[in-house]
Amino acid sequence: MIHTTRKTLRTLAMAPALAAIALLPACFDDDDDDMVVAPTPTPTMSPTPSPTPTQASFDVTPCLQQEIPGTGGFTVADAVVPDTLTLNLAAAAGFPNGRQPADPVVDATLAVIFLDLSVHSPFTLANLPLNPPSNDVSFRDDFPFLAPPQGSPPLASSGGSNFSFRDDPPGTYVRVDRMGMPAVATVLIGSDQKIAYNDARPQDDVTGQFVPELTEQLTGLTNALADDLTAAGLTPCATAS
Amino acid sequence: MRRNAKLMAGAAGLILAVGATQLLPGLGLNAADHLDPPGRTDPSVDSTPDRAADIADLYAWHTDDRINLVLTFSGPQATDQPATYDPDVLYQIYISNAGDRASTEIPIRVRFGTGSMTDEFGVQVSNVPGVSGAIEGPVETNLTQDGVMVRAGLFDDPFFFDLQGFMETASTGDLSFSADRDFFAGLNLTAVVISIPRQRIENGDNLIDVWADTSRFGGQL
Repeated sequence: MIHTTRKTLRTLAMAPALAAIALLPACFDDDDDDMVVAPTPTPTMSPTPSPTPTQASFDVTPCLQQEIPGTGGFTVADAVVPDTLTLNLAAAAGFPNGRQPADPVVDATLAVIFLDLSVHSPFTLANLPLNPPSNDVSFRDDFPFLAPPQGSPPLASSGGSNFSFRDDPPGTYVRVDRMGMPAVATVLIGSDQKIAYNDARPQDDVTGQFVPELTEQLTGLTNALADDLTAAGLTPCATAS
Repeated sequence: MRRNAKLMAGAAGLILAVGATQLLPGLGLNAADHLDPPGRTDPSVDSTPDRAADIADLYAWHTDDRINLVLTFSGPQATDQPATYDPDVLYQIYISNAGDRASTEIPIRVRFGTGSMTDEFGVQVSNVPGVSGAIEGPVETNLTQDGVMVRAGLFDDPFFFDLQGFMETASTGDLSFSADRDFFAGLNLTAVVISIPRQRIENGDNLIDVWADTSRFGGQL
């Protein structure tokens, strides 16, 4: 119960929720054996019956405000704002405590933004699984971790010396792309905000600048998908509005 | 009809974020960060896409004694294509360890350089705690200096995801994923992998936050 103690201390000592994501136990790693399996019946993801004729409208506030179980108060909103990977070195590694190559980040992300986490485990979709559960080739246990390139591509020489590097200061370069959490910039930021989002920094994120956009995008997705989730036996976190 | 229209409106970004790729014409690519932002990196949206500066994924995790960082970019691509080492792109991985999740205490900088032969490229990693000067050496080689390991090169694209299912889900409003379809299977990309002794980053009980960006010398393409 060291975790509990640390969690409490951290929660009190450090501001909000951010402290806790990392206290997520080792359930987000890629081993199935230690996952906390949600005791829900396995929903079938086959196409649902005919589309619902009525247009649903949902409030996603409960989704953003819900705590990721086992984190001592870290909410979904905290996980995406600021847009960084967060590591708690005192807890086991595994998304969303950092991100390892083998972590099933898409299914984990979909679960925490769409499902009621008081009913379902964050691993509900990963346990199905919804998306491919692992890479097509094995990762290496040791450095450099990633698998070698596939096929027979032309490779650069592994030799040479006296390379010529540009030495201009960082301020003379112009930003093109940024990334923290997987899928946030791509899925939850709409096209009209893409450039602004990719030009921003975590300091901008924490002002709340993009929260309306994140909320709007999540609402649109929820309005479209909530019927499918329900039909599959799942309880959405969003409430009808 | 209304339902789909609303989805399109509400999730416009999803649709537009995914551009066609040369790999699978007509099907867009929306993934971890591949081809995002589309206006700068997606050939179906931008006539001068900046492939070299297009981040695919960022990974950061800890072990008992190391902090490992992986930045992948310029992909995914077919397995007969070479890696991308662009001397005009600056890759930065920002680490926050002072307790304020949004600040940056350790900006690690990665650059590529040219060698004397056309097939020779170097990688330079600077500003790593505990390393005097920069780590420099050829790509496709494990480099070690002051306890820090670096390798840049061509790798398998480590991301796995049913992109087709995502596209269908986004366009129809019906969940359409399949665990048997991995769009990123059999594709490669370029990456830099950095492994740092954990105590160089660890700062008491503070959370460690990590993000990355790319920028181009001389402005965007």
